[in-house]
Amino acid sequence: MQKIWIPGAMPIELLLTFFVFLLLCLGLGTLYKRATGKSIHMMIQAVGVWLIAYFILRFILYPPVPISVFSTWMGLITMVIMLYVSSTERGWIEFREPILNMLKGETQIYRGVRAVTFVALPLLVGFGTFNQIKPSVDEPIELRTVHPAPPQNTTVHGVPFTLQTAQNPYRVDDQGKYLPVGKEDKYFGQNAFDPNAPKFLQYVKEGGQVFFNTAGCFMCHGDNLDGRGPIAFAFNPIPANFSDPGTIAQLQETFVFWRVSKGGMGLPREGFPWASAMPPWEQHLTTDEIWKVVMFEYWHTNFFPRTWD
Amino acid sequence: MSWRSLSNGRKTNFFIAGLTVFLVTVVTVIFSLAQTSEKAAAPAAAGANRPAKPSPEDLEAGKKIYFRKCVWCHGDKGDGAGFSSLRLFPRPRNFNPGTFKIRQTASGELPLEEDLLLTVKNGLPGSAMPSWDGILSETEQKQVEGFVRTNLVIDRKFDDPDESFTKIDYGKQVPSSKESIDKGREVFMNKGKCVQCHGNEGRGDGNLTQNDEFGDPIFPANLHKCWNLRGNRRDPYNPRNIFREVSTGLNGTPMPSFADILTPEDRWNVANFVMSLCPKRPIDPLTAKPLINFVVGSKFIEGELPTDAKDPRWNDREPNFIGMGSQIIHKPRHFTRTIDNIWVKSLYNKKEIAFMFEWDDRTKSLGSGPPPAEIQEVPGTVIIARVKPEVYNDAIAVEFPTRWKELTVPEKPRFIFGGDPNKLTRDEKSTDITKSVDLWKWEADGTVKAFTGQGPHDLTLRPASSQRIKAEGATFADGKWSLILRRSLTTEDKENDVQFEIGRYIPIAYFAWDGSNGETDLKMGLSTWSYFILEPPMPRTAFVYPPIAAALVVGIEFWIYTKFRNNKSNRKK
Repeated sequence: MQKIWIPGAMPIELLLTFFVFLLLCLGLGTLYKRATGKSIHMMIQAVGVWLIAYFILRFILYPPVPISVFSTWMGLITMVIMLYVSSTERGWIEFREPILNMLKGETQIYRGVRAVTFVALPLLVGFGTFNQIKPSVDEPIELRTVHPAPPQNTTVHGVPFTLQTAQNPYRVDDQGKYLPVGKEDKYFGQNAFDPNAPKFLQYVKEGGQVFFNTAGCFMCHGDNLDGRGPIAFAFNPIPANFSDPGTIAQLQETFVFWRVSKGGMGLPREGFPWASAMPPWEQHLTTDEIWKVVMFEYWHTNFFPRTWD
Repeated sequence: MSWRSLSNGRKTNFFIAGLTVFLVTVVTVIFSLAQTSEKAAAPAAAGANRPAKPSPEDLEAGKKIYFRKCVWCHGDKGDGAGFSSLRLFPRPRNFNPGTFKIRQTASGELPLEEDLLLTVKNGLPGSAMPSWDGILSETEQKQVEGFVRTNLVIDRKFDDPDESFTKIDYGKQVPSSKESIDKGREVFMNKGKCVQCHGNEGRGDGNLTQNDEFGDPIFPANLHKCWNLRGNRRDPYNPRNIFREVSTGLNGTPMPSFADILTPEDRWNVANFVMSLCPKRPIDPLTAKPLINFVVGSKFIEGELPTDAKDPRWNDREPNFIGMGSQIIHKPRHFTRTIDNIWVKSLYNKKEIAFMFEWDDRTKSLGSGPPPAEIQEVPGTVIIARVKPEVYNDAIAVEFPTRWKELTVPEKPRFIFGGDPNKLTRDEKSTDITKSVDLWKWEADGTVKAFTGQGPHDLTLRPASSQRIKAEGATFADGKWSLILRRSLTTEDKENDVQFEIGRYIPIAYFAWDGSNGETDLKMGLSTWSYFILEPPMPRTAFVYPPIAAALVVGIEFWIYTKFRNNKSNRKK
């Protein structure tokens, strides 16, 4: 069956599905009425619509609808169906007729259905109660702050840095002067291995050496800096995906500098310092190496760091 | 019967039917077009299987992509000596000789373009080559593949008329069945002699002395971990991959082509057999590895706990898959752990709890003596430095927060051997007992030790507690370790021993050492904090209330039945 992707709220595809569904029902109903002169039996209408709705919600929509949403929608649909069948006196009588016939056991067939239902119902209730009482095991939910508030200052290799004002000393233009944030896009996608590359790209290449060799960040953060490195699968929380616009693109360079230097252990409590596998790179890298690797991360992902202005 | 002879009513019916069908078809067609369809890789050029030479624009574009994404591992000369090569085993591919492992061409031949494109798209699982699907567009993948093939393969030329591209014949696939698997086992053992390298059980422990064409050590594949097989094309349970490797051989490695010795039917049978070795697990599409079980449930049983891994009482449950990473966080760092997952099961009774661990290890390793006091971090990987690693004891460990009950959820001690992360960042000693872990470590020499951990370099041995942990069923056979660790649920040392309680989520973490890989101390494979729970046994009420509820329903049914009977007989009167 074709899976229908729901990327957001009520896209055209979802509306079209329900439109097709509606068409089908109306078309079939009209055809039947024209052929036989009567409408489709109320009970068949009710059950048919309910089953088709269940089928669409459960098997056709993708990604799968969560149980809570699914129950809400099915509940609403059931209510609407009940309103519809009880909207006219005649309709209501027609709808409840098979149920009454079954309870009364009017004919052989109805008696058979009644027997099956009367056996199935207590069994279902029994198993339902059993499932409720049975102990179940689900993973506990733990909510972590992905971007905790940074401290005012941090001391790396004995040197204090004020995070609001510190600057990356390797952000330089071709003349060696500080390159303001927003101007480095002329270097994006350029070849950092070109022997004639400008200073900025040379530092990017050195940052790449830190990322892929000295520190080995790619082992967790991945060759494409998307958090899918060879050992990433073993860790929880998972390594940050730098290529996602929700991570380093939202942060100042000094924030990233703090995080890289102090690692997972340096996080405040809401960041889960006990569980983060992010190494405290201060223990393995010099301050210069840390600045260069931060620069490399932004260059590789084509993002600008966030600034105050 | 003509259209004109139909009544108006009939015509309208046909019209409505036609309109409904038409609209449904239109909408369905729109959906199918809107989906991104799985495009097969570009087929090889008609006539010859030789890849077409890329245009100069495509080469230029491919070069730009290469120097953005690929150079960091494969090097600026494409010789596999990029920045990451010292941290990896297996190393990134050296393109210069034109040796490629995963192909559909005969042994020794260059690959088809389709083969290289599939490698870029799916990556090579079990190595650091990632899947570029979704990161590079189809065009970009083609451009960078064209660049690598044309400019970085130096010793051979794809357009050399002496190079042939004989695509293998897949024959008629034999579907998997008991007979096919049995025949495949026969081929694996005797006709193909696969056991000689891949080991009696196929865990890659048959021959550990081989090198690849670059002089690096190379180990036969562990066929039980089909998600780690290089050429699985992110489809680990498809026997077609095995058929292909067996037919083409892997260039540059000791794995030969069996196309001359084994008939296609033989090769399909052995492919089915090999696939039967790999446990079927749900695979995480993002990591191309099995989903990790973050909650390990311990099941309650009556009677004594099993002391043998083969005891059938362990078989009630599927084993839990725990992923292990390399310890690259604290010195001495270790980038190339070999144990990338362990399997865990647990049972408990009224008094004791038992954990069963199983993990694949190609060698049983015993150290020649106690490890030195300070372990050096080796620059580059032990293997690539061509330094014969020191051999230490194989080992495995499991840890729990000592005072898990006193912690405020979700806070825990630091997962690498405990400690207060705040203090550890400032290089201070962690002393609070609620931040310590109880670490149980077993080593292949049969010893079990209990440590209190307050940090990666702060483990204190507790001899009395060590006596309370029993190691049983420790067996090594054909590339696999099995071990059972058993201890009472509660102990008298409430201060330092972890105390277990039924029905509570207790944090747990695992560590593993492959002694022959130079792993000891902090050079190890490790997992993150996950959970384990002693599942409460079925309460008696679960057998009392359901029948009562069912009886109530029967009562209501009976009342309905008599009511309608009475009504009917009343009406009859």
